[in-house]
Amino acid sequence: MEAPTRSAPASARRPRSALRLVRPVLWLALLVVLLALPLYLEAAWLKAGQYMMLGAVGAIGLTMLIGQAGQLSLAHAFFLLAGGTSYTVLSGPTGDERVLGLGLDPGLALLGAVAISTLLGLAFAPVAGRLRGIYLGVASLSLVFLGLYLGQAAESLTGGTSTGRPPAKFELFGFPFSNAGPEIELLGVPLRQAERVWYLFLALTVIAFVLARGAIRGRTGRAWRAVRDNEAAASVMGVGVARAKAGAFAVSSAYAGLAGVMTVLWFDILKPDESEFGTYGINTSIAFLAMVIIGGLGSISGALVGALLVNGLPQVLSLYAADLGWFTGTGDGAFTPALISSFVYGAAIVLVVLFEPGGLAAIGRRMTDLLRTTHSGKDR
Amino acid sequence: MKRLLALTCAATLLAACSTKGGDSGGGGTDDAGVRTGLGVTDSEITLGVMTDKTGVFKNLGLGITQGNELWVEDVNAEGGVCGRQVRLEQVDHGYKADTAKTLYPQIEPKVLGFVQLLGSPITAALKQNLATDKVVAAPASWSSELLDNPYLMIVGTTYDVEMIDGLSYLREEGMIADGDTVGHIYIDGEYGANGLRGARYYAEQHDLDLREVKITSTDNDLTNVVTGFKGEGVKAILLTTSPTQTGSVLAANKALGLNVPVLGNNPVFDPVLHSSPAAGALDKLYVVASSVPFSADIPKAQEVAEKYKAAYSEPPNAGVPYGYAVAEVWGTVLERACANKDLTREGVQAALKQTTSAETGDLVAPLDFSVPGAPATRQVYVAQPDAAAEGGMRYVKPLFEATEAKEYRAPHQE
Repeated sequence: MEAPTRSAPASARRPRSALRLVRPVLWLALLVVLLALPLYLEAAWLKAGQYMMLGAVGAIGLTMLIGQAGQLSLAHAFFLLAGGTSYTVLSGPTGDERVLGLGLDPGLALLGAVAISTLLGLAFAPVAGRLRGIYLGVASLSLVFLGLYLGQAAESLTGGTSTGRPPAKFELFGFPFSNAGPEIELLGVPLRQAERVWYLFLALTVIAFVLARGAIRGRTGRAWRAVRDNEAAASVMGVGVARAKAGAFAVSSAYAGLAGVMTVLWFDILKPDESEFGTYGINTSIAFLAMVIIGGLGSISGALVGALLVNGLPQVLSLYAADLGWFTGTGDGAFTPALISSFVYGAAIVLVVLFEPGGLAAIGRRMTDLLRTTHSGKDR
Repeated sequence: MKRLLALTCAATLLAACSTKGGDSGGGGTDDAGVRTGLGVTDSEITLGVMTDKTGVFKNLGLGITQGNELWVEDVNAEGGVCGRQVRLEQVDHGYKADTAKTLYPQIEPKVLGFVQLLGSPITAALKQNLATDKVVAAPASWSSELLDNPYLMIVGTTYDVEMIDGLSYLREEGMIADGDTVGHIYIDGEYGANGLRGARYYAEQHDLDLREVKITSTDNDLTNVVTGFKGEGVKAILLTTSPTQTGSVLAANKALGLNVPVLGNNPVFDPVLHSSPAAGALDKLYVVASSVPFSADIPKAQEVAEKYKAAYSEPPNAGVPYGYAVAEVWGTVLERACANKDLTREGVQAALKQTTSAETGDLVAPLDFSVPGAPATRQVYVAQPDAAAEGGMRYVKPLFEATEAKEYRAPHQE
């Protein structure tokens, strides 16, 4: 939560113990609510929530890369495809004549997919190390087109654009995250695929979140920020610039790979795009960029809020549209959930860039600072 | 500390609310001994529509939906199906697979089946769900690759068979001969790949030199492709593309002085082409489809057209009679399920497999769903653009089936 660049004046003076507890308690409360939600929400809303979570995992990776290490990347969608494809191939059934499968345990396949995405990120690191800013952005964009081509060409891996291929249902130590297996009830609610996948995604998101927080609060994060702010100064201080840069790219790719695995599990299918706009297309890269800008570059919790907005809004609006009969206009001039959400997050980006470059995270920080000042009863 | 207390209170409150548990599907048997399940009450049968009213296929989606609605009005006026009124539950996914995936669990418990499922990316993403929930759905996508799913009911023939029939028509009319060079432009994906499969099959049978050009759905200027075809001396161009791309090809075909016949699958044409820059170049286009154009001079099509004009103001397209026909087929299946005294989802699926002669008053060729993996029909109409006709098309050859199409084996045919 702490701004990477600002040393917040608040942190200089430790607030009182009761206040110090507030933040962990709030996080805990949020977790409790998230754990309880499947007992109250219908499957469609859980599906929308899962979509936000997979966005969150990807956005956390990207915010570390752009916000902490200062490398603009538009290749996120490519690593999503890499992760999704790796998982599907590793866990796919062996002996299928049309597509390649290695028949690994899905849990191992998930780890393997993250590892493969990391290696691909490392492979791109020499390029990322030499370029900066918009040049790197454009260079990384080429990966998305490479992904589009490979997705279409490598039919034995991806299943091709015509039909795609279904991924193996996820299971962990023999427990299936689908409607199969033991029938479990919790407080009278049967836990079926939607609920199980919700808990799976929640666990993955929490792990991703905690690891990222650890990374940016530790040496790694300090090295990234040093490189971001001034490469020469960083190397004088003994930071290996090339290594830090490569590391940031690899970590971010790992996160995108995990988000890719979540994507194929969420869709129940791996289907490479037919054009450059699609599940793994430019629009996805840009959506992730929107998430991290709205949330505040470099802020992990900001990335969560950004994902909530960018991935969640179209979904939630569509659900309300079907429920309450909103936006039922048709044809060219119609306001549709997708259109409205584009307006909203487009406007959010403009507002953030104009008025609060620190994004929603900075606004949040300001509010907690306000709370502190009012509580400590002294004006600072 | 106060806040802590408040939070614990909130948490306990949360736990005290009743959970969502205990919704079981309304199963049972009515007075007439008909078993019912999800989407069926004593007075109503609900069918789902997942369409695109706002995305790239909004014109088609709207047409099909209006066709569905017209049929529902008709059947309800006649007393409904199985003593129940038919109701449609509609959602708009805007041709986005992620939206469709989220909307599906919301609509699924309310419906007996889907009278319309538009878009191949959406159909692909929902394939598993349909099998898990045992829901019969009629996709507005005619790829024979979908036929490995026993819950998908494709009303009409498939893209590959359309191409085969269409090519045989060109050959019959003397526009192409064995050994000619023919160009095929197709969108990479389910739609294009399936059309190409048919063209390849026919090319093999008749020794055609097929020049394949793969494009993406966002390529809207195809002049350079046509220029290349001109250099290769093609005798005909085959299209498995979007209407915008069709316009580009036809305009280039005329402008470059190539002027060869152009044959397209059923989705390549939209009446808006008549008011596009390609309007003067449409005369070379032949469209193959197993459902009639809006203006067809068969009684049923005219009846639908009249009702359409009474009810709606939008310019009609071929989606309208198709939408009506699909609903008509659904009606046939429902009647059979009713006769079997089983209006559950399993009952509908069983009834679909027994349906060997779904009649739609010639809106679509007669359909036979009893052979797993095979298209329900192999007959097509050939139509040409005609600005004077309602719906922008008139047909030039009534239903027929080429011998090559009869012998062709679809990818999942048993």
